[in-house]
Amino acid sequence: MDPELIKDCVHCGFCLPTCPTYVLWGEEMDSPRGRIHLMGQHVEGTPLTDAMAGHFDACLGCMACVTACPSGVRYDRLIEQTRAVVEREHVRRPDERAIRALVFALFPYRRRLRAMRLPMRLSRRLQPFLEQVHPSLGAMAELAPDAPRPVRLPPLVRARRRRRARVGLLTGCVQGEFFPQVNAATARVLALEGCDVVIPPRQGCCGALSLHSGREAEARRFARRTIAVFERAGVDAVVVNAAGCGSSMKDYAEVLADEPGWAARARALRTRDLAEFLIELGPVAGRHPLPVTIAYHDACHLAHAQGVRAQPRELLRAIPGLELREIGESAVCCGSAGTYNLFQPEAARQLGDRKAERVLAAGADLLVSANPGCTMQIAASVRRAGKGEIRVAHTAEVLDASLRGLGSV
Amino acid sequence: MAARDVGDALEAAGVAVRAAGDGDEVAGVRPRWVALPESAEEIAAVMRVCAAHDLAAVATGGGTKLHWGAPPDRCDVLVDLCCMNRPPEHAAGDLVVRAQAGVTVEALARALAEGGQELALDVPVPGTTVGGLLATGIAGPRRFRHGTARDLLIGVTVVLADGTIAKSGGKVVKNVAGYDLGKLFTGSYGTLGIIADATFRLHPLPAARAWVTATVERPVTETYGTWTNEDGLTFETLTTDLAGSLATMVPAVTESPLEPSAVEMDWPDAEGPCTVAVLVEGAAAAERAKALCALIGGALSDAQVTEEPPPWWGRLPEPPAPDGPPGPLGAGTGAGDGDGGEILLEVRNVPSRLAGSFVGPLTAAREAGVHAAVRGSLASHVFHVALPPDTEPRRVAAFTGGLRAHMETDGDGRVVVLAAPQEAARRLDRWGHVGALPLMRRVKERFDPDRRLSPGRFLGGI
Amino acid sequence: MSELERLTERLTAALPPDAVLTDPVRLRTYECDGLTHHRATPGVVVLPETAEQVAAVVRLCGEHGVPFVARGSGTGLSGGALPRTDGVLIVTSRMRRILEIDIPNRRAVVEPGVTNLAITEAVRDRGYYYAPDPSSQQVCSIGGNVAENSGGAHCLKYGFTVNHVLSAEIVTPDGEIVELSAQDPGYDLLGAFIGSEGTLGIATKITVRLSRAPEVVTTLLAAFTGIEAGGRAVSAIIAAGVVPAAIEMMDALAIEAAEAAVHCRYPAGAGAVLVVELDGPHAEVEHQFAAVERICRDNGAFEIRVAASAEERAAIWKGRKSAFAAVGRISPAYIVQDGVVPRTALPRVLAGIDLLQEEYGIRVANVFHAGDGNLHPLVLFDDSVPGEAERAEAVSGRILDLCVEHGGSITGEHGVGVDKARYMPRMFTEDDLDTMQLVRCAFDPRGLANPGKVFPTPRLCGEVPGVRRGAHPLVEAGLAEQF
Ligand SMILES: Cc1cc2nc3c(=O)[nH]c(=O)nc-3n(C[C@H](O)[C@H](O)[C@@H](O)COP(=O)(O)OP(=O)(O)OC[C@H]3O[C@@H](n4cnc5c(N)ncnc54)[C@H](O)[C@@H]3O)c2cc1C
Ligand SMILES: Cc1cc2nc3c(=O)[nH]c(=O)nc-3n(C[C@H](O)[C@H](O)[C@H](O)COP(=O)(O)OP(=O)(O)OC[C@H]3O[C@@H](n4cnc5c(N)ncnc54)[C@H](O)[C@@H]3O)c2cc1C
Ligand code: SF4
Ligand code: SF4
Repeated sequence: MDPELIKDCVHCGFCLPTCPTYVLWGEEMDSPRGRIHLMGQHVEGTPLTDAMAGHFDACLGCMACVTACPSGVRYDRLIEQTRAVVEREHVRRPDERAIRALVFALFPYRRRLRAMRLPMRLSRRLQPFLEQVHPSLGAMAELAPDAPRPVRLPPLVRARRRRRARVGLLTGCVQGEFFPQVNAATARVLALEGCDVVIPPRQGCCGALSLHSGREAEARRFARRTIAVFERAGVDAVVVNAAGCGSSMKDYAEVLADEPGWAARARALRTRDLAEFLIELGPVAGRHPLPVTIAYHDACHLAHAQGVRAQPRELLRAIPGLELREIGESAVCCGSAGTYNLFQPEAARQLGDRKAERVLAAGADLLVSANPGCTMQIAASVRRAGKGEIRVAHTAEVLDASLRGLGSV
Repeated sequence: MAARDVGDALEAAGVAVRAAGDGDEVAGVRPRWVALPESAEEIAAVMRVCAAHDLAAVATGGGTKLHWGAPPDRCDVLVDLCCMNRPPEHAAGDLVVRAQAGVTVEALARALAEGGQELALDVPVPGTTVGGLLATGIAGPRRFRHGTARDLLIGVTVVLADGTIAKSGGKVVKNVAGYDLGKLFTGSYGTLGIIADATFRLHPLPAARAWVTATVERPVTETYGTWTNEDGLTFETLTTDLAGSLATMVPAVTESPLEPSAVEMDWPDAEGPCTVAVLVEGAAAAERAKALCALIGGALSDAQVTEEPPPWWGRLPEPPAPDGPPGPLGAGTGAGDGDGGEILLEVRNVPSRLAGSFVGPLTAAREAGVHAAVRGSLASHVFHVALPPDTEPRRVAAFTGGLRAHMETDGDGRVVVLAAPQEAARRLDRWGHVGALPLMRRVKERFDPDRRLSPGRFLGGI
Repeated sequence: MSELERLTERLTAALPPDAVLTDPVRLRTYECDGLTHHRATPGVVVLPETAEQVAAVVRLCGEHGVPFVARGSGTGLSGGALPRTDGVLIVTSRMRRILEIDIPNRRAVVEPGVTNLAITEAVRDRGYYYAPDPSSQQVCSIGGNVAENSGGAHCLKYGFTVNHVLSAEIVTPDGEIVELSAQDPGYDLLGAFIGSEGTLGIATKITVRLSRAPEVVTTLLAAFTGIEAGGRAVSAIIAAGVVPAAIEMMDALAIEAAEAAVHCRYPAGAGAVLVVELDGPHAEVEHQFAAVERICRDNGAFEIRVAASAEERAAIWKGRKSAFAAVGRISPAYIVQDGVVPRTALPRVLAGIDLLQEEYGIRVANVFHAGDGNLHPLVLFDDSVPGEAERAEAVSGRILDLCVEHGGSITGEHGVGVDKARYMPRMFTEDDLDTMQLVRCAFDPRGLANPGKVFPTPRLCGEVPGVRRGAHPLVEAGLAEQF
């Protein structure tokens, strides 16, 4: 934990109201300002206590505090450093350790995830039982989406009409397995907008999960591999449609700061979120009307970590017939936050419920976001509230429907 | 101590004193001396003499309404502040003025107008002094836009019962250093200390003013009907309500983006018509008034724009003539055991209970068999109700009780009896229930432990 | 067992399970508010959820003779919420429900922990807002606003917290729940409570006035070569009889900081910028705007920008609103000062500040509410250079002296707290302060509510001789009733 970064915090509290854990519990220690203070205490020599580690673990890493901070405090760097310290110095309870091991053994690996699909569907029915064994297992089961039809994407999708760019597409582990239709839609949209889309078949996990959980070495390994894969693809930009992956790829240079060669290669890689990229590129394909009301949810890793808020809205608004509605407390996290709903199921559930309430209040036909974790989380909360199924989609799917003139999403 | 000694002591303190006469009575209590201090130090000297001799003092400014309110438990010295009237210090560039307590509001307004500014309070009683204005916390129509005395006061110098001179606030508009004693003294009726001088924030005189006036023939509608119960018996019913024109017009005007400065009404007899007047101020006043006129004209056909206020604007209501028929209270006409003094009530309310502000006085007046005149602010929902001066005391009490029953039911309405003859006042509670009274008593005990300042004149006998 | 420990046991029994914090690591996160150089770890922290719980805590404190301090969002800049190591810190951050929104009566009833901005957000759709707008409005609590009588850029026209609070339910220092209402006859205890910095009790429910959103808002940014020209323009605007909603000024150094932090793109080469906001009925604003624009040009404005949209207005304000925190980008450390001078004394006081900069070799960035003479000099220093912190502290103090000399105040909005208690005697005589203490003693005779704040020397509320404790003689005689 870099004392210089800690010192940047002037204790103004501007970050408090957007911090989900502060919103939930109203305690200083579970606010960004409080967590930075705890980091300061540790740097000054206070040993890492259970209480301290608990407050760091409770942080969703949503980075709403980074957006809110007028002093430019790099909380993102601070919490990553802190997580690494917690992993190194803190001894967790055995049951916590077991759950963490399970998650890290599964999620970053596609094949293992694929093998999980069937048991997960079964487990939905077992959820009450799993809940009793450990709330995290219950949460995992509750969230599991129905296993989709596998979609195989070709290594290259050619641009329609004149080619304007050659881009790489990161397919993501969770996205790729549970929401392959999103990747398909993304590739089509890019192609329709005049891009050759390279989809390297051998890409693995980008390292986001490991990075956000303080597993530094693992994160670095994934980062180096991803860089190498896309360098070989020879693309102008790497387009990412999963917010969490995009934010971690944009951080590669800092993750690899100790390895100057790799850091330079990371900087050379132009990583863009899909919406960000499409706005930079400018539209050429025609938009067909979509008569639908959409509530757009800001995924933290997009809105806060990458500062991409206006672009998706701009893209959606440009679709004729589409009405865009804002969700209350839009800056506050839905509680999904990567692995958060697995490790902190209680808090995640409360945040999910809070968000679901506001999403329902927006009264839209469709909930759209750029992160599968968020939509899974919110849909589960809506279900839990007994409000039936809420229809969800990724921004890419909505654009795809409009560009192809499907008339509905 | 003999009376002469006290007089000597006051004189020795360098303060002009005279023996009190008939005209110096405070609500019927005749003091023995009148002191005429010219500075805060001289007020302090008077208070020290009072402290040394256990004398009670009452402050007076213009003395315009000193007979209002409860009589003091005792009053030995009347501290007349009329001589504290040095020309006000007007700092036009800072939009503030400092004035001594004895300066009249009219003199102050003249001085300020020379600099193109004003104290944005409309004081209803001519001859009011700065001290009296603050001590009673009065305000007029424009309280809707600018608030009351407390909102415009930024600094004050006071003299306490033991002769301590203390100031709070200052001469800058923005200031949060220390407690705001000015607020505490505003509306304290001289029971905590004597105000020596005050500093106010000012406003530029508006470039233009315009009024929109209109008449409501029947502010309260009465609908007769019948109602049949399950046994087939039919009863006559009477529903009273606010006239639809008022009910829609008032919120439309107060919430209008045209931003009126005040919305007032005059209802000289609760059985008759009432006049509504709206004030607009600013360079574009005429234009805005026209737009408001159109807005009001929808509900009230005789709406018109005038450049002068209606004659009753910003004044307390005149009491109606006591010629009403005896009401349900039975025997006796108005002229009974009353002592001929003024009877004035203040009613506060909230916008959503506007109907109550009309139906309340009307019903209470009918039930008590009196005539009532109502005037006040439709925007701020503060009204004054006047009854004929010699209304029978029990009718005054019945009216007050009836009005309270109407207004205070849901916790938002308040009825305070500002002026009532002794005989009537004894039968009623002037102030109504105030939850914070014990805390107020504690404040009084700290400031004036020996109860030497206007004892008994304030609520709860403070 | 210490008194505090005994009290803590009873607090734990009286409050919900996780409402009492005793873990030292957790307690320390509450050691300061927005003014970080005053620190003290609270003896115990409680997080009540209801007025009854607050009252219970306060009563227990009374029984054990333990002091208590209220805290809202901890953004205060005078150390008002500085805890007591031997006391209880009562934090309202779990009391943040908006209890009622009553548009017809233009009011909202809220718990003290609700943030200032949350009220406006709850009523904006219906064309209303809560007028006082401290720069910290997204985070500071209404309870804190009431305690500090907070203002904002728009208080030039609309006034401060005290002008917008209709009533407050408070827990008195002896643990009673009392309603103070502007509607009630009697002493204006509400007016006295507002701005009392937590020394007269704890607000547990607040009814605020909602204001109607103006028909139009026009925001204009005028760039001047120097602060003098800007100051002249301000005086001329006031002299022309215009009362803008806000007039804010920033000097070159403050502009530089804001530029670094939020890229506000103020005109290049500006030695001072003036942000003037006019609001009201369309016809009036048009009139005033013409006057303001002309006055700015006449006084040497070399560039004037007018916000054409809500986004452009936000962009103009962004630079101003982020100025405090932004100074962190151009200086390792700084002190935010808060003083007031009569507006006409501004040029002299600013010249005085210039002299101080030279004398001490310390840079001062100026941001101020020019309309009402409220200065926020930001005194910059590098805490790693020996002696600089002390010199900055000295400059900061001398600025307050300048304010007092020119008939101003030592604080316009941040309050006295613990930081400025020692400056109070420069503004007030002993008699003035003793008189304020009378109010304190009426509310809190034992001095348990936020002791050590506001007043320089703690005084005991000695038994006042001659206080009548029995029934009033008139009541006894049946001549009056007490209600
Ligand atoms: C008890 C009472 C209640 C009133 N309430 C209202 C009201 O609610 N609304 C309204 O419109 N009018 C009210 N009035 C009328 C109001 O007093 C007159 O409108 C105004 O003319 C008073 O100014 P004055 O200078 O004539 O004061 P006076 O009539 O001389 O005194 C009025 C009151 O103020 C006190 N007072 C006067 N000067 C000072 C001073 N320098 N320091 C301390 N105390 C001082 C007196 O002791 C007295 O209680 C009230 C009057 C009284 C006596
Ligand atoms: C960047 C920044 C900008 C600021 N800008 C402004 C500005 O423009 N204008 C302005 O006026 N202030 C400003 N402030 C100061 C601060 O935000 C205000 O003073 C605010 O009102 C404090 O609210 P809080 O909830 O943080 O209170 P805290 O800091 O927690 O407490 C402040 C004081 O209030 C007391 N208190 C808190 N809650 C209660 C309660 N319920 N009952 C009784 N007492 C209570 C505390 O004991 C303490 O004395 C700014 C602060 C920062 C950091
Ligand atoms: S990252 Fe999110 S949860 Fe963590 S401190 Fe910042 S705002 Fe709170
Ligand atoms: S907003 Fe930034 S400077 Fe302010 S408390 Fe939060 S992290 Fe610290």
